[in-house]
Amino acid sequence: MASRQEFTVTGEYVYNRASPTRWIVSHFLRYKRYVLAYMLTAILANILINSFIALLTGAAFDAVSRDDASGRSVLLRITLSLLGVVLVGVLMDLGARLSSEIMGKRIARDARNELYLSLLGKSQTFHNRQRVGDVMARASNDMTSLSDMIVPGFDIIFDSFLSIVVVVTSIAFLNVQLLLAPLLFVVAFLFALRRYSRKLNPVSDAMRAQFGTTNAVLNEAVAGIEVVKATAQEAQEQRKFGENAMRYRDYFVKSGQIQGRYLPTLLVAFALAGAFLHALFLVTQHQISIGTLVAYMGLMTILRYPTYISIWTFSLVQLGTAGAERILKLMKEETELDENESGYRAEMRGAIVFEHVTFSYGNTPVLKDLSFHAEPGQTVAIVGQTGAGKSSLTKLVNRIYDVDAGSVRIDGIDVRDWNLDALRSQISTIEQDIFLFSRSISENIAYGLGQKADEAAIKQAAQDAQAHKFIQGFKDGYETVIGERGVTLSGGQRQRIAIARALLTDPRFLILDDSTSAIDSATEDEIQQAIRRVLQGRTTLLITHRISQIRWADKILFLRKGELIDEGTHDELMARCEAYRRIFSHYEPPTAVQEKVASGPLSKEGVL
Amino acid sequence: MGFFMDGLDAEAYDRSYKDSQLVKRIISYFRPRLRLMLTVAVLVVLGSLLDAAFPILIARSIDMLQSARAFQIALLLVAFILASGALSWVFNLFRQWFSARAVGDVVLQLRRDTFNAVMSRDMSFFDEFSSGKIVSRVTSDTDKFATVVTLTLNLLSQILLFFLIAGILLVRNWHLALLALSIMPAIVLVALGFRRLARSSTQRSQRSLARVNANVQEVVSGITVAKNFRQEQNMYDEFKKVNEQSYHVNLRAGYLYNGIFPVLIALANIGTTIVIYFGGQDVFSHNISAGDWFLFLQSIGLLWLPLTSIASFWSQFQLGLAASERVFALLDAEPRVRQIDKQPVTHLSGKIDFRDVYFSYDDRQTVLAGFNFTIQAGETVALVGHTGAGKSSLGKLVARFYEFQGGQLLIDGRDIRTFDLHDYHRHLGVVPQVPFLFSGTIADNIRYARPEASDEEVATIAQQIGNGDWLESLPDGLQTLVGEEGKALSMGQRQLVALARVLLQNPSIIILDEATASVDPLTEAQIQEGLDTLLKGRTAIIIAHRLSTIRHADRIIVLDRGRIVEEGSHEALMVQGGHYAQLYNTYFRHQSPDYKPGEGFVPVLIPARNESEGV
Repeated sequence: MASRQEFTVTGEYVYNRASPTRWIVSHFLRYKRYVLAYMLTAILANILINSFIALLTGAAFDAVSRDDASGRSVLLRITLSLLGVVLVGVLMDLGARLSSEIMGKRIARDARNELYLSLLGKSQTFHNRQRVGDVMARASNDMTSLSDMIVPGFDIIFDSFLSIVVVVTSIAFLNVQLLLAPLLFVVAFLFALRRYSRKLNPVSDAMRAQFGTTNAVLNEAVAGIEVVKATAQEAQEQRKFGENAMRYRDYFVKSGQIQGRYLPTLLVAFALAGAFLHALFLVTQHQISIGTLVAYMGLMTILRYPTYISIWTFSLVQLGTAGAERILKLMKEETELDENESGYRAEMRGAIVFEHVTFSYGNTPVLKDLSFHAEPGQTVAIVGQTGAGKSSLTKLVNRIYDVDAGSVRIDGIDVRDWNLDALRSQISTIEQDIFLFSRSISENIAYGLGQKADEAAIKQAAQDAQAHKFIQGFKDGYETVIGERGVTLSGGQRQRIAIARALLTDPRFLILDDSTSAIDSATEDEIQQAIRRVLQGRTTLLITHRISQIRWADKILFLRKGELIDEGTHDELMARCEAYRRIFSHYEPPTAVQEKVASGPLSKEGVL
Repeated sequence: MGFFMDGLDAEAYDRSYKDSQLVKRIISYFRPRLRLMLTVAVLVVLGSLLDAAFPILIARSIDMLQSARAFQIALLLVAFILASGALSWVFNLFRQWFSARAVGDVVLQLRRDTFNAVMSRDMSFFDEFSSGKIVSRVTSDTDKFATVVTLTLNLLSQILLFFLIAGILLVRNWHLALLALSIMPAIVLVALGFRRLARSSTQRSQRSLARVNANVQEVVSGITVAKNFRQEQNMYDEFKKVNEQSYHVNLRAGYLYNGIFPVLIALANIGTTIVIYFGGQDVFSHNISAGDWFLFLQSIGLLWLPLTSIASFWSQFQLGLAASERVFALLDAEPRVRQIDKQPVTHLSGKIDFRDVYFSYDDRQTVLAGFNFTIQAGETVALVGHTGAGKSSLGKLVARFYEFQGGQLLIDGRDIRTFDLHDYHRHLGVVPQVPFLFSGTIADNIRYARPEASDEEVATIAQQIGNGDWLESLPDGLQTLVGEEGKALSMGQRQLVALARVLLQNPSIIILDEATASVDPLTEAQIQEGLDTLLKGRTAIIIAHRLSTIRHADRIIVLDRGRIVEEGSHEALMVQGGHYAQLYNTYFRHQSPDYKPGEGFVPVLIPARNESEGV
């Protein structure tokens, strides 16, 4: 693999990623033995079940027509052989189906592991480019298509193909002249099949898409029912839905029409009649026996089955290949950043400088000529509207993105010259959407240290983060499992656990996106106290919605559309920046009551 | 033909409608297509007859040969075979076409009816049913409804075929027929047995697959964190474990699904062997002709697959009925909000009168008991109180989303129950706590309540919200696409769009449930300014969560367990040191710009109340 990875595992199996077909084949080749076993048992099963039974039946007919004593014993022998064939046949058949199952499921499992590994190796930039939903869709839906393509897809196709080959060969074995009907049929069948799927597939696709659209319209109307009712727009929604449902109905009917005209069924009828006629003719010419005719008809009727099942399997293959292509595309995406083994390593002091930083996200400019600096230990609040560039700014610090122009320097060294590991291990991010793993609380808090954290340290961190009290409130305390299979935590609780996590790793640099909303002031007290604790002694870039937080910060950066409009302390900005003043305009100056409170002895729960 | 392994993953469902009732109603939906359906039924019968004819004709031809009659008669028979094959195909073509049309029309009608029914339900319905359930009733349950009929028709054709052939066999030689048919019960039992086994294994594999996907989801979501803390190896090890588990479960399920056909085919072939032996004996004893023997052989080949469909019919039919029941339950549900009249509403000044109102959600908790309150036209009233105090109920009653059980609610002196609800809603503007946007552009969303509004009107309204500079931060201004449910915009931006929408609607009464989600301070300022614009000159009921809102309201109403305990202005209530002061300390204290953790309390002069009481 030429691509650089941030994470690799020793001894992983290497697949060929040149194209979807080669990729799938390389997965198959990993299980050469199963492939061989499958082919062997499938061929044997086919020969036994499709060919031998028909031939033996024909032989039975001949035996019976002889109408003499030896006929009965022949019949008995044939019957016993038949039983034998059926028995061995079913075993072979089961063997074939089972080995194809194993192959299909193993390949799906391997593909999942491969994708997972590949995702872990990608850079943060890559992950910010993808939407979680998209990646998930690929991971689950496309994997399923892939697996379905192999089993039952390939299995049935191979089986059908084999049936046709075995039947034609057996007929040739009976009497070469009899090949006329089946060969004509096979050719006509293939043409008809192609024509049919060309007609049906676009309609099936459109039908599926239309179903999705209709569902989406319905979903929206139901999710937004309050708005619909409040604005009295039920009729509008009914019209939208009705139109979409009607279009679906039209596709449905069209699909039914096309399916009704499935020619191969007609061709089979013609083929059987024609074959029968031909065979009858040969019998009257005494070129073949009745038993041969019986065997021949038996073989011909087998041709019925591949015709019915094949259409459906072709679409499986199509879907599977499309899925494989999407998965491959995802895996092959390049990551731009590498580990920079030889980079600068040292303990950070925490001084940061942005100098004429310009950054674009794809084609959209995000930051323009931004410059500022912060001393170790300072709290810098970044204020700006959505899309002003606040979080992009913070992501340049731990190199989730790299600047397009200008530089970001920590302790005087450009972040690109730092060893990536050394850089990131001393910078902690607490994001807007706190992600916690579905594990115990203590495991989540100790996440960064792996197995190395001890209980006392975890508890201390939790206490400093004002989380200890609520953790003790749970039945299992620190061992309480959170997440889908456990307890659901509120936004504020998750934030405090993330703070405890950050405290434990004790980074020099903190990027804090504090956008949770506290419903009540008591919780807010705890959260803010926790935040205060975590801000101590660290340089922090703070994105917050709390105007009180902004107010008490050491330095405030005011961004508008990627540019730094102003910077300074709260008082400085209130004095000279009108846009900044607007933020506080709806909050009137403290009332007489609060002035009394702020200065008097009743500064806690003021109950007389 | 319904595949006999279909429908294994349906959930259990308690049935209250009788089967016969359901069947009657389903038939009534097909009644307008009666002619089509009858034609399909006739085609089904004819098709079965022709399918049965095929082996008989072949058998006859063989006998002709055996008795050395003329080749020409055999030719005639072959011509019949050809004709019957072709005709059968033609019949099938029409049958597919007609039934597609009939089913398509019925499902469309049903979908329209259920959608309309959903639209006309009141809000308590949406509290009770998740949107996922509702959606599945309208789209997939309606589909399954139609399959009840197609299933029945298929059953008809297969039963007909079965009895025709069985009849012919029995007539020819009843004792060989019984031998041939003896293998049939085995086939049926095996088919049913597999179904049962597969069903439980399907459920297990689905759950396990969901676990794997959840794990993948977690890895994908947590990759930034994993990279931050360099935990990639642990994640990988864990994933491999979960993936391996899923592999085993899926493999077991796959064995079942794939194992069934070989077994069934083997059974059919055993049947063939039995016929070959005993039939052969009978031919030796001249009990039957060779042609008949061939007929017996062919019959097994024709019947074993239809037999599996017959076997699984009943349970699939039940599933279809269950789906129909869900659909009819939806259509039949009684609306709880009933209007007693449909008087037009042309203009409202917005005076609201609650007189002795009794209200409870679903008979469990009484929210309002003998509630009295008047809001003057044009007044902005802020409601505060603990959760469950009754704040949102007041708004919902005025919006006529829920039905109250006693007392009167008068708007401009008129009983709210006498209004044409449609008209009334046009004078009402509702901004819910979490603003909902429809996928489309911002402009589309703003004009949702008045689709006929021009682009200039939309632009003017957008400008009036907080100086209009919120549009600058959007990539395409008013033409910016908002994504599904507005997800492409931030919460604050969605709120601004919701305000603009209501402003364009120009209602007389506004019901606003303030969002609690935090919003960046600049957007917050724009929202506050936007609210100022919106509330001017209109009656407004605001469930307040913002400090700035309660400061600017005309009147603040403090609710406690369905009763008004205090009212007045912010300053006056703060000095009183009562409920309001307590609420301030609990919910609004931290919103002040001077806030520091643990500070900023207002003195409370009433006994401290246990916060969990009555909440």
